Amino acid sequence: MRRREFAMLAGPSILVMAGLLLLPLYRTIQWSLQDVDYGSPGKFVGLDNYRQAFSDPRLADAVVFTVTLTLLVTAVLVVVGYLLAAFVNSLGRSKPYVLGLLLVPYVIPHIVGATMFSWLFNANYGGVVTYAIEKMTGIQVLWMTDTWPNRILIALNIIWSMLPFAMLIILAGLQGVSAEILEAAKMDGASPVRTHLSVIVPSIRGVLGFVALISIMDVVRTFDPLVPLSPQAVQLGNESIMLYIYNVAFRDGGQDLGLGSAINVLLILLIIVLLYPFIRGLAKEARMR
Amino acid sequence: MTVPAGVIPSTDESAELNQVVSEPHSRPPRRLGRTLVVGGLVLLICWTLLSPVLWTAMTVTKPTNIAFVNPPQFFYEPTFDAFVNLWQTTQFYSYLVNTLVVAVISTVFALLIGVPAAYALSRYPGWISTLLLVAALVFRALPRFAVVLPMYDISRALNIYDTTIAISAALVAINQPFSIWLLRNFFAEIPEQLDEAAMLDGCTRFQMLRRVMIPLMGPGILTAGIFMFLFAFQEYLTALVLTDVNARTVPVFIATQLGQTLPMLQQAGAASMILTLPVIAFAFIAQRYLVAGLSSGSVKG
Repeated sequence: MRRREFAMLAGPSILVMAGLLLLPLYRTIQWSLQDVDYGSPGKFVGLDNYRQAFSDPRLADAVVFTVTLTLLVTAVLVVVGYLLAAFVNSLGRSKPYVLGLLLVPYVIPHIVGATMFSWLFNANYGGVVTYAIEKMTGIQVLWMTDTWPNRILIALNIIWSMLPFAMLIILAGLQGVSAEILEAAKMDGASPVRTHLSVIVPSIRGVLGFVALISIMDVVRTFDPLVPLSPQAVQLGNESIMLYIYNVAFRDGGQDLGLGSAINVLLILLIIVLLYPFIRGLAKEARMR
Repeated sequence: MTVPAGVIPSTDESAELNQVVSEPHSRPPRRLGRTLVVGGLVLLICWTLLSPVLWTAMTVTKPTNIAFVNPPQFFYEPTFDAFVNLWQTTQFYSYLVNTLVVAVISTVFALLIGVPAAYALSRYPGWISTLLLVAALVFRALPRFAVVLPMYDISRALNIYDTTIAISAALVAINQPFSIWLLRNFFAEIPEQLDEAAMLDGCTRFQMLRRVMIPLMGPGILTAGIFMFLFAFQEYLTALVLTDVNARTVPVFIATQLGQTLPMLQQAGAASMILTLPVIAFAFIAQRYLVAGLSSGSVKG
């Protein structure tokens, strides 16, 4: 392909990304060094915003909360997603219908799914799960106002909404595992568990990595589910980094745009660190082609 | 793999193997037992995963005075008052139209610019393709606020704040990295010799793309389109920042209803169900293309 053809084909897409992603990103970096408000030119203040961010214990709490949530949810998604995909893959004629039903949590908008979760759990709204637990154990779990139950609720909701996607990707991977290898494992007398662990899992390593990648990207940026599920996120210490940015820089005409932008930049750095293994792998693969 | 008792298809080798090993008489009950266990498991999994939706469906069809009481009520006269209320007392209709308009516009434009770009990336060797792919990965992971807050500022300055155009444009850009990444992997599966053959026959690069590649890419483009539509339909954060009242979408509307009094809360539930029912239909239609599309090589990792 000639350079001119490449420019014409890829040009519009590159222009859109440059104008609507790169330019705003540049703005954010610029703002992070300024004392600034929307619609007015800022005043350069050097690294003041970063200094302020690092001295705010809320940021440290938000980072610990977000990173722990990310690692936990990612591990659960890979393991449970695999089990579910293997199970669905073994189904016969009912497979398309089961798959359709299982996809529902993924296609529902996150904010809607989280709202549905809050009604299922919150005793104030007659949450049936809390009611059942109370009937059985006599304990009323305060999902919205106790720190740990609230954390569990948030994690459950995110797992619920992302599990279908993990399952779908792994299922697609499972269908690519060659029948001959499976037959050979069977002939050698490998048990089903052994076949999964030593034959299937290694051959879909790439797919499992892809699921982990998407999960890390998305959970680090958790925002939507916290709006219905954790109205008191700040007091409970369940504020995600994204929610912290929102609270600082936008909510109720939030004034501290400079600080918010500085945290945005720090979050980007954190994401790059978390994704570094994947970025390196991708660059290596692309160079080899 | 479930085979009706007594029928042994000659093509299924494992079934033949089983037949040799096991007693013919013991087969029907064991099959039946397995079917029951698997069926029970399917029901349990589906019921667990769908319980939030089912419970909400019950909540919004209860009379308002018992919809959210504790202890929860399980028996009631179903009513659709909440839906009627939603339609009559709020701007729900226009929010729904906004949501659909944004989803359609952003999907069409994302594909229009994404398909040629992905094709170019899959065919053009050299550092620029590598750089763009890595950039796409990083952009895909970018925190929304890092681009959406400046967009808010810019859209106010350009006087397009609170329009469907502004959100659509934002979503095209935000979802562009994912769509070119997905589509590039589909194109990479198509052998390059095919391009060369078509061009030897006298096609230009663009004619070839239109007449040969795009028809071949049907499932891939459909898969990418499904994802784009879904992402736009679900988007909350971008719409929250870039809209006020005129271009408000349903997810933003639902979130604003949450802190309100009971009737409004139940209206939010009704709006949730209206948003959920079409996507359930969508899930059933989409699962065929998604599994086929994704397994044809797009997720090599």
